[in-house]
Amino acid sequence: MSEIKVDNLTGKTTANDITVTVGASATMSLEQGLAKAWGHFTMSSTTPRDSFNISSLTDDKTGIFTADYVSNMSSVNYSPSTGGTHRDAVSESGWVLAVQHAGSGADDMTTGELSLSAHNGTSALVDTVQATFQIFGDLA
Amino acid sequence: MAGKIIADTLEHSTAGSLSTEYVVNGSAKAWFHFNMLAATIQDSLNASSITDSATGTFLMNLSSALSSSEYATLSASGDNATHNASADTNEPRSSSQYSHNHWENNASYDIANASNSALGDLA
Repeated sequence: MSEIKVDNLTGKTTANDITVTVGASATMSLEQGLAKAWGHFTMSSTTPRDSFNISSLTDDKTGIFTADYVSNMSSVNYSPSTGGTHRDAVSESGWVLAVQHAGSGADDMTTGELSLSAHNGTSALVDTVQATFQIFGDLA
Repeated sequence: MAGKIIADTLEHSTAGSLSTEYVVNGSAKAWFHFNMLAATIQDSLNASSITDSATGTFLMNLSSALSSSEYATLSASGDNATHNASADTNEPRSSSQYSHNHWENNASYDIANASNSALGDLA
């Protein structure tokens, strides 16, 4: 077994371009495939249960939280995903955690933050006890 | 010529160590941010194209195929000013193609900002 002890990985030719072998012979970009932020939180608290690259959570209003990044993304065209299970003490189905986009009336999705809204089965905004998300893309 | 390192573990001086298996298997093999209304890709990894299959349904076509059609897909439900309750689902169609479906109020709907990602092994 081989082991590398190192604090930083930097591309030799281009600093942010490291290729990894991920199939029998297929390769891909290391930095492009890594999640740049993720979080697990409850909407009753602005302290994440666990997170990566999240500086703070803001309780905008019932059912809407905004997560701010420590390191910003390079553009607004990054790719967020949200967890599929959201529940309260009563119901475990029919809840959706959505990404707020321009025009939705919240802080929306910018290079520095992501707003998430939780809705129940009747479209009402609700505070969920379990919200998870992750983002892929390029850091600034 | 760039250098090449073959290793099983990466160890940081303070942040712990990581098996390179997690780098290989834990990295997203594709991700998309796209506009269903304009049928354009805003940004992506490992994307060859998208196909407008039907209202609220697009196909993600990959440049490099996964090793099987049993990979994992994730998506974010997009919200907009008019329709709040929404759901986005994905379905692998083949090793190099998966669908993205957006629903609002129990109907298919095109939105300006849709995103998803795929994790698994490349072929």
